[in-house]
Amino acid sequence: MRPLQPISPQARVLLGILFFVLFFAGWSLATFGGFVSPTFLADPITMVKDGIYLLTEQGFLRDIGMTVWRVVGGFVLAAVVAVPVGVAMGAYKPVEALLEPFVSFSRYLPASAFIPLLILWAGIGEMQKLLVIFIGSVFQIILMVAVSVAATRRDLVEAAYTLGARDRGIVRRVLIPANAPDIAETLRLVLGWAWTYVIVAELIGASSGIGYMIINSQALMATGQIIFGIIVIGIIGLISDFAFKTANRHLFAWRLA
Amino acid sequence: MSELIIQGVSRTFPGVRGGKPVQALQPTDLEIAKNDFVTVLGPSGCGKSTLLRIIAGLDQPTTGKVMLEGTEIKGPGADRGMVFQSYTLFPWLTVRENVAFGLRERGLPASSSKEIVGSYIDKVGLRGFEDHWPKQLSGGMQQRTAIARALANDPKILLLDEPFGALDNQTRGLMQELLLGIWEREQKTVIFVTHDIEEAVFMASRVVTMTARPGRIKSVTPVDIPHPRHYTVKASPEFSRLRLKLTEEIRSEAILAASS
Repeated sequence: MRPLQPISPQARVLLGILFFVLFFAGWSLATFGGFVSPTFLADPITMVKDGIYLLTEQGFLRDIGMTVWRVVGGFVLAAVVAVPVGVAMGAYKPVEALLEPFVSFSRYLPASAFIPLLILWAGIGEMQKLLVIFIGSVFQIILMVAVSVAATRRDLVEAAYTLGARDRGIVRRVLIPANAPDIAETLRLVLGWAWTYVIVAELIGASSGIGYMIINSQALMATGQIIFGIIVIGIIGLISDFAFKTANRHLFAWRLA
Repeated sequence: MSELIIQGVSRTFPGVRGGKPVQALQPTDLEIAKNDFVTVLGPSGCGKSTLLRIIAGLDQPTTGKVMLEGTEIKGPGADRGMVFQSYTLFPWLTVRENVAFGLRERGLPASSSKEIVGSYIDKVGLRGFEDHWPKQLSGGMQQRTAIARALANDPKILLLDEPFGALDNQTRGLMQELLLGIWEREQKTVIFVTHDIEEAVFMASRVVTMTARPGRIKSVTPVDIPHPRHYTVKASPEFSRLRLKLTEEIRSEAILAASS
């Protein structure tokens, strides 16, 4: 091992899998070895059994579907609002001066702290879940998009001006395409955070969803179900991350060329 | 009749963090005729790039004005094409799309721009690379694309700011021949900023030298070597004489610039 020395793709995959194996081995040792009481931590086999039970008997697939729908819905709403605002902030300094202090402040408001208020305003229906994710995501996206747009290479903008571009052309044909990969990367990151918000929202006031199942399982001391729920979230996150990365590689091939 | 008139143009940059304002360019007058090829030669930091940026409209003069065909320049525009020292191709566009950028901005339909774009890609010798992204090209190829991109817009003046400065010596020589060849065939007003004396003499009809900061024009030297110029003119007595003359003029300025 030497600093920054690359490794082969096979080695990369094997090492990645190895850590999962180690993790499960440690978990099995702790549970089957009797070091941890089953009341507090289920063993892997119980977890799998609980998972099968959830999927076949409890209609857990519907819960998963609900949660995915909420995340995607809230996230898409946030992105639709935040990306244009972020681009406007990055491109136009007066807009930045107007919004930047407020957005920076709002970014630190924890979305989960809004849940009681949102329940008052929107009840415990779907609107409340979407709003939690929206509030949690929108300010983050605005700020990150604004920062990358503002950092667009100045010489590219000047080149476009000397080619006859007007202000609108600069935004449409330089600022947006130049930063599209960074914007996509921002969305990928924030989607990961949106998953945290949805689960918190479902823990507090919901009648379906992965978070709802988890909080129900706690009442039943079914730690196997809880762990299964958490792992399902992890797997969905992994899949969406992979999908995002593949799409970005495709859309922004010029970056990797 | 001069196409471009520079009248008393100076530029003073405001001091940074309470520092003193810096004068980069003293009031400068220069007239450039249509289809002239003028090279501006000077040590680094002499304000030659500042002057070029003011002509391009990317910077505003502190005093004076620049007139293009009788109209004062207020900002950047498609009538003054520019090639930068840094690689400024749009990395998300292919060679073809880069060259077509200005035409598309003007709203030209794809069918009519296609022919223009193709012809300029041919002129800079990049046929076969139309669908490559800038990242896949060498530095010389990127600058050739940048020249094609600027020319495809058919600007009145082509401005070049040390466009070959980052290239290796051999590539630079070839690029000079390429650009000169295009100029000889097409005729175009060109202002070319460089700190390379040989480059300045080889391409120019007139070489304008500038003093160390704050820059002003020190001399204007006509280059009466006939066109078309072959690279072998670099070995001719006339070329050597001009090179020596300009070397001496620039040398004293470079010493000043280095000691300040």
